Amino acid sequence: MKLGYQYLVNHVLAFLLIPTAIAVAVEILRSSPARWNSFAIDPIHILFTSFLAVFIATVYFMSKPRSIYLVDYACYKPPVTCRVPFSTFMEHSRLILKDNPKSVDFQMRILERSGLGEETCLPPAIHYIPPTPTMDAARGEAETVIFSSIDSLMKSTGLKPKQIDILIVNCSLFSPTPSLSAMIVNKYKLRSNIKSYNLSGMGCSAGLISIDLARDLLQIHPNSNALVISTEIITPNYYKGSERAMLLPNCLFRMGGAAILLSNKRRDRSLAKYKLVHVVRTHKGADDKAYKCVYEQEDPQGKVGINLSKDLMVIAGEALKSNITTIGPLVLPASEQLLFLFTLIGRKIFNPKWKPYIPDFKQAFEHFCIHAGGRAVIDELQKNLQLSAEHVEASRMTLHRFGNTSSSSLWYELGYIEAKGRMKKGDRVWQIAFGSGFKCNSAVWKCNRTIKTTSDGPWQDCIHTYPISNLTLADTQKLVEYLQDKLGVSAPFDVVIDDVPSNSRIATIKVVRALTSLALKEAKKLIEGLP
Amino acid sequence: MGEVTFICKRTVISTKAVEPGKFSPLSVLDRIMEGNHVRIVLYYNLPTRRRPGELTKRLRETISEALSAYPPVIGRLVRTPEGHWTVKCNDAGVRMVEAKVNGTVQEWLQNVDREKELMLVHWEEIYHKPYFWSTFYVQITEFECGGLAIGLSCSHMLSDPTSATMLIKVWADTTLGGQTAPAPVFRPLPTPPQQAAAANTTTNPTSIDHYKSGTGGGGGGACTPPPTSTITLQFSQESVARCVAAAGPHATPFDALTALLWTRIRRIRGAGPELSLSICFDARSVLGLESGFFGSCMVFNKVAGAGLSEDVAGAATAIREAGMDGDGVMEVIEWLERESEVRLDGGNNDVVCVNLESVGVYGAVFEGDAAPLRAACYVEPVGGAGKVLIMPAVEPGGRVAAVTLPEDEAKKLLEDTWVELQGVVPVVVMGLPKK
Repeated sequence: MKLGYQYLVNHVLAFLLIPTAIAVAVEILRSSPARWNSFAIDPIHILFTSFLAVFIATVYFMSKPRSIYLVDYACYKPPVTCRVPFSTFMEHSRLILKDNPKSVDFQMRILERSGLGEETCLPPAIHYIPPTPTMDAARGEAETVIFSSIDSLMKSTGLKPKQIDILIVNCSLFSPTPSLSAMIVNKYKLRSNIKSYNLSGMGCSAGLISIDLARDLLQIHPNSNALVISTEIITPNYYKGSERAMLLPNCLFRMGGAAILLSNKRRDRSLAKYKLVHVVRTHKGADDKAYKCVYEQEDPQGKVGINLSKDLMVIAGEALKSNITTIGPLVLPASEQLLFLFTLIGRKIFNPKWKPYIPDFKQAFEHFCIHAGGRAVIDELQKNLQLSAEHVEASRMTLHRFGNTSSSSLWYELGYIEAKGRMKKGDRVWQIAFGSGFKCNSAVWKCNRTIKTTSDGPWQDCIHTYPISNLTLADTQKLVEYLQDKLGVSAPFDVVIDDVPSNSRIATIKVVRALTSLALKEAKKLIEGLP
Repeated sequence: MGEVTFICKRTVISTKAVEPGKFSPLSVLDRIMEGNHVRIVLYYNLPTRRRPGELTKRLRETISEALSAYPPVIGRLVRTPEGHWTVKCNDAGVRMVEAKVNGTVQEWLQNVDREKELMLVHWEEIYHKPYFWSTFYVQITEFECGGLAIGLSCSHMLSDPTSATMLIKVWADTTLGGQTAPAPVFRPLPTPPQQAAAANTTTNPTSIDHYKSGTGGGGGGACTPPPTSTITLQFSQESVARCVAAAGPHATPFDALTALLWTRIRRIRGAGPELSLSICFDARSVLGLESGFFGSCMVFNKVAGAGLSEDVAGAATAIREAGMDGDGVMEVIEWLERESEVRLDGGNNDVVCVNLESVGVYGAVFEGDAAPLRAACYVEPVGGAGKVLIMPAVEPGGRVAAVTLPEDEAKKLLEDTWVELQGVVPVVVMGLPKK
């Protein structure tokens, strides 16, 4: 029934036009040939009509915005020697914060629930005991990340440095003088008339802001390309204090970067991977709470860090709603828009208790790239947009493998989808990013050609091990009960308990008792025997 | 000149993530060495063509690769429900310290003493919370005028000098990029054959004596031990041959040199028959274990000092008779498994002589064909009367003896005249600190 409705509404034009055209044709054929001659065909009328047609066509083509294509992009793959396993991270935290065991425990709890895996990477300066975030080390990280990404991109696209017309770099927390864009111009010897821009302080959504800027510039400059670099340099921003709200970024942010090549050149049209369809930016900074929700400040000891407020998820939800309200009409099929409108009217007029209709974005997009800000963010969005596990798989797996790489995470996610071979011609992709400010930015891409899985890229050596599923202990209990009920499995089997965070000891003991029918004393001893 | 400058300390992880939930249990021979640690220093002379720090960076990368074969090395100690130590393979990594020294390796080696040498190999005693304590420490020291010193220290519970040297060799092979050494083997010791339950007394009394005398509890002696010094004596191939000849038939170089040094120390101390000797040897060969067996496999045996004359031959015979075969070692293992409170923390008063003949330190080549110029090994702490470690020398057939004694005895040993045994004249490669 729903499908019939959708088909009807989405093809309403066709449904209206076809009967009309048939009726007109029938009418013309029925009328006698004599009536044809009564139409005096004046040569001046014909000339005038044709000029009008040509004039309208010209105006249309001139004012149509240029199509912007994403030729290719490359993501940085950190060396495996920069890997930070959980135990190493916790040990360092313990050694550095030895006077604040509560802060260490907090970090451990965050890490457990973060959704990060054991292969995420931090830059070399953070591996020291204590970390040594010097300016040199920060520049070193910037050079490694950015230059490797650009080199990969040049290799895959054949781009020459002198061909770059526009250069946009976004890196929120590291802004040296000369800028990172100047660093790139210097390294690759770019042209002296290059249009370079350096965006700093704009948070995790800055990647899409750069894309938006590139798009606007490519409207003005014909036959040009734009190189966009999105990265976050971790070295100078490792928080050395012990305030809990400021320790969160240490646990989640990891090394990463991406280089993206956009073009409006005709000849890139056939080779490009994606076409940029929409960029929608929503800024909630006018609201004080939203403005202060991700705030860089000094802690009482004078150490600088980024404070994440407790209202983060609520504010993110509101920003998303604003963004969806704008993007919905642009991308949703007519059927969904009508339904949304009807429920809106219904709620206003008839009964405010009607549940608001959440448009089904799965009809507008084949793929979703949700910024991998943390497991909570992805969970919330999955719930709010009613997405399936497969839709958020790219985000979850990027979070697991690379951590929160800030503005470049959307590109790792896109890389995941391509590496899995799921990107087909005509597929539509929705990239959503949140960032300090508080901003929610979206970009919509349409796949230009079916993308074959390649043997390079950051996912090439591990894509076959994904997707993985992280079951929490509570989930494991549910699974065990399910197996026991549905499949009649009654033989004892092993559940491997890797680590018990100290705060969930009681909960864990309860679950262990339920699973193994141990007495309370034995279960307690078992859990306490684990570190 | 010869100043060690500390650069940084960091944690090095392995390139391959360890699957969570794995444990590597420790055997009785491992656990008995609680409180002891091994320190090894290798010196290399490499050309100075590199930028400072470049070699260290490469070595950091290669050790990460090498560590992927050693999950217990990058794990941490935890207690089992029975209260024993075991290793949880939690992928935490090992600590690495980087340092630099001005001058050349040769200058350093001419002026080195125990204190200075120990600055080239970092070590930290066990923390209050051992779960965050790295059991292995690696130090890379670059000499500014060319040269490299690699230091590795580890808890003796996890590795004896043989295994530690093998880890260095695997690291060197990974750096060199050639064929790799055989992978380490982590498995329990062979179990002793099931004796009849009635045999609850030891059949070989002397083999347990050393262990029994070690259980004095920590800090058995109320007074602080006198400050010790380590001197290193190098015996050329001819010296070793002459010593062996003087030691009587069937004497190995270890027997002969140990006998020589034991008789000297006895004479210096004037202790006479009360000063007994314990030998410590690698039991891998007698137990039939592969050389890749990773862990602590050192077994001790006491050699009684009573009734022996001062000559080298008699001493050598006694030492040789104290060597154990596979069954003897098994009895020791069995006894140790019954007695769970035994610890060797230097509470006894014997001179301990450690047989490191099978430790192939000179095989670790990091670059080109530059084998180590010199190798030094320490097994700490040194208790009681002192410790002697006999290792191979760079020269084939030669030996190096590292002797740790109370300072005044070490001084006397250096001044000792060696005329009794003609031709066995060692070269002092590391002497006392210059005041």
